[in-house]
Amino acid sequence: MSGVSVVIPVKDGERYLGELLAALAREGAEEVLVIDSGSSDRSVEIARAADGVTVLEIEPHEFGHGRTRNLGAERTSGELICFLTQDATPVPGWLEGVRAGFALDERVGAVFGPHLPREDTSPMIARELERHFDGFATDDGDPALQRAGDEPFLSNVNAAYRREAWEQIRFRDVPYSEDQAFGRDLLATGWLKAYVPAAAVLHAHDYGALEFMRRYFDEYRGLRATTGHVEAFHPLGALRTVRAETAADLRWLRERGAPAGERARWAARATVHHGGRRVFSALGSRAERLPAGVRERLSLERRDDGASGPMGAAEAPIGRAISAQRSDDRYAEAARVLRDGPAPLLAPLPGMAERKRLRLAMVVPPWRRGSGGHNTLFQLLSRLEQRGHVCSVWIVDEQGEADDRWPSVLRREIGEWFAPFDGPVYKGFADWHGADVVMATGWQTVHPALLLDGCRARAYIVNDHEPEFFPTSTEERLAEDTYRHGLHCVAASPWLRDLVAERYGASADAFQLGVDHAIYAPRADLARRRDTIVYYARHSTDRRAVPVGLLALAELHRRRPETRIVLFGTDRPPRTSFPYEHCDVLSAPQLAALYNEATVGLCLSLTNFSLMPKEMLACGLPCVELEGVSAESIFGADGPLALAPLDPVALATTIERLLDDPAEWERRSRAGIEFVASHTWDVATDEVEAGLRHALREREPTGVTSPAGDRLRSP
Amino acid sequence: MTDTDQQAEIERLRARVGALEAELVAQAERAERAVATAQERTYWLDRWHLDLNALMQRPGAAEFRAMVRGVRWVLRGMKKVKRTLTRAS
Repeated sequence: MSGVSVVIPVKDGERYLGELLAALAREGAEEVLVIDSGSSDRSVEIARAADGVTVLEIEPHEFGHGRTRNLGAERTSGELICFLTQDATPVPGWLEGVRAGFALDERVGAVFGPHLPREDTSPMIARELERHFDGFATDDGDPALQRAGDEPFLSNVNAAYRREAWEQIRFRDVPYSEDQAFGRDLLATGWLKAYVPAAAVLHAHDYGALEFMRRYFDEYRGLRATTGHVEAFHPLGALRTVRAETAADLRWLRERGAPAGERARWAARATVHHGGRRVFSALGSRAERLPAGVRERLSLERRDDGASGPMGAAEAPIGRAISAQRSDDRYAEAARVLRDGPAPLLAPLPGMAERKRLRLAMVVPPWRRGSGGHNTLFQLLSRLEQRGHVCSVWIVDEQGEADDRWPSVLRREIGEWFAPFDGPVYKGFADWHGADVVMATGWQTVHPALLLDGCRARAYIVNDHEPEFFPTSTEERLAEDTYRHGLHCVAASPWLRDLVAERYGASADAFQLGVDHAIYAPRADLARRRDTIVYYARHSTDRRAVPVGLLALAELHRRRPETRIVLFGTDRPPRTSFPYEHCDVLSAPQLAALYNEATVGLCLSLTNFSLMPKEMLACGLPCVELEGVSAESIFGADGPLALAPLDPVALATTIERLLDDPAEWERRSRAGIEFVASHTWDVATDEVEAGLRHALREREPTGVTSPAGDRLRSP
Repeated sequence: MTDTDQQAEIERLRARVGALEAELVAQAERAERAVATAQERTYWLDRWHLDLNALMQRPGAAEFRAMVRGVRWVLRGMKKVKRTLTRAS
């Protein structure tokens, strides 16, 4: 490797400059550039007197740690550019060490070495330097490489750069810590960094206690600006740290044979040093909160960062560097699918769709008690299991909603809250072992399911058109994307089946939501009231159109103030312009009792039809729903459900008609009971099982045969 | 090989695949049942967030276990003595 240039920014550095330049001559540096920014001592004279040293003088206001080093790199030509500070003297073998660092790997963009203490360096600094740099070497004390994700530390007290890497990254024009910022950028762009113990310099900032503190103020202000680091400060914690650091300093002195008197003298100094460091580093991290004058006085370099002065043309802002913080996020699977595509499916086997028993894996998001969508899923899975299929549940929980619930607990919840289930429950896919059909069940489960291997087919139990749950957003677009990956959809209504088939080109079947007739049935022991409206007012679910429902009930109350209104389905009573009774979230038997007592049910859905109106009908309670959405696909335009447009007045009028017209009420009540009598979970399971077999059949090379006739839609 | 032979061979192979598939399902059922049984058994440990393997790795766990074993050894010894004395009387 040829061509080594050394750049030394200088200001009033006469104390060590001669020694430094002599060391460079000894090491054989080809090109040395001293950039002086207004020294008032003999620095320029010393530099000019040295052989082979070029001196560049700049105005003090032109100096910037990053800016001036970029200038130095531009004014030199070596393939390697070394930066030293004016008080860093290379030890013998320094340049050889630098070259050796770059020879470790052609991707090494920077090499740095340790800062050794001088004779008069305080033990606090000497110990800190020793401890700090020891951490970068291998256990044997050999050179070590750092990659992306490793500690980005770099120090321009003693660092060298490959010109190609510097040209690509360059130093940021920041007031401080330009080297740290470069270290981060270097690793982030794929370069490596090498620490070489042999590339050492003698260096120490030999300040008094107060000067040290002001320097820490500057350093931590720079760190905040370049890396965003804010030094924490807790008084008790700081005291503990000061005590521990002072004890370590004294131990270090004792190990080096310092007499007791000297140790006692350093104990006081060390306490002040570490205490001051804690306070001034915390202040430096929060410098922007201090008045400009205070800031200037606390800074060793008397920097105020331009907080005062006239408003002029702004420079391009330099953003704070933020390290990678999340190892995974909720879009990671979607990104993998978009980048790499789905995992390949197993080769199809002849007749696999007709096998009596299938291995079925259901992928679900975490649930809560009372979750309607999960109730549907587990009612189906429970019955599929009873039919001999080998079923398992796999939970996708990227948001950590079920972090505190371990698999056995989640498994028990299925049985206690939804339906009996004998299979296992897995969180995540570490134990994934394949399936005949993997079933995605919600938009957030589709991309993870697409990445699972060892499957013969993929199906998608679609409870609702989930893109409509979101405003224009990433979630909305990802939810739309889930219908486009070839999963065979088994949708929870004919309306939903047609929607995913026509809008997204998905192959789809439909199933009808079942009703638990053991719970939801007319009860002779409960007297039916003639004045009660029950409304599913779950205002936390936007698709329930609760504002419109409440306006309709306000209109009804205006017309008939004596009508009793009962709201349920939410634990937070909504604010209304009319009085009402609030019933929170009710259990299934409580709901059945409420439906048996009430006169008219109101349940609105702006997307797919839900189970609740069916359960009301099963109890003989006529129900009002929205027209023009999905209900017609199940009940027809004038079936047991009374349909009304999304209009408060029209909804109120429809409810009022049912209250006023006993014949109409009776007709709809009877029709509702008859209609939903055939809507059972067993029938729903038949339909879903047919859909799963359809998913398998679609993969068979012989082509699709459709035992379910025209209910199957394959575009 | 005649067409008939070929057809018979295909049918035989299909039947064999079917049998192997059925075997796979049965095997999967046993495996899933074993996991489910284990989950049923560890319900309260999971409910209380107790990972006994991790717990027994902690300092003092082995000593605690040795102490429990010692106490059990003493109790068993006492029971044995009691039984012997009861029988003797």
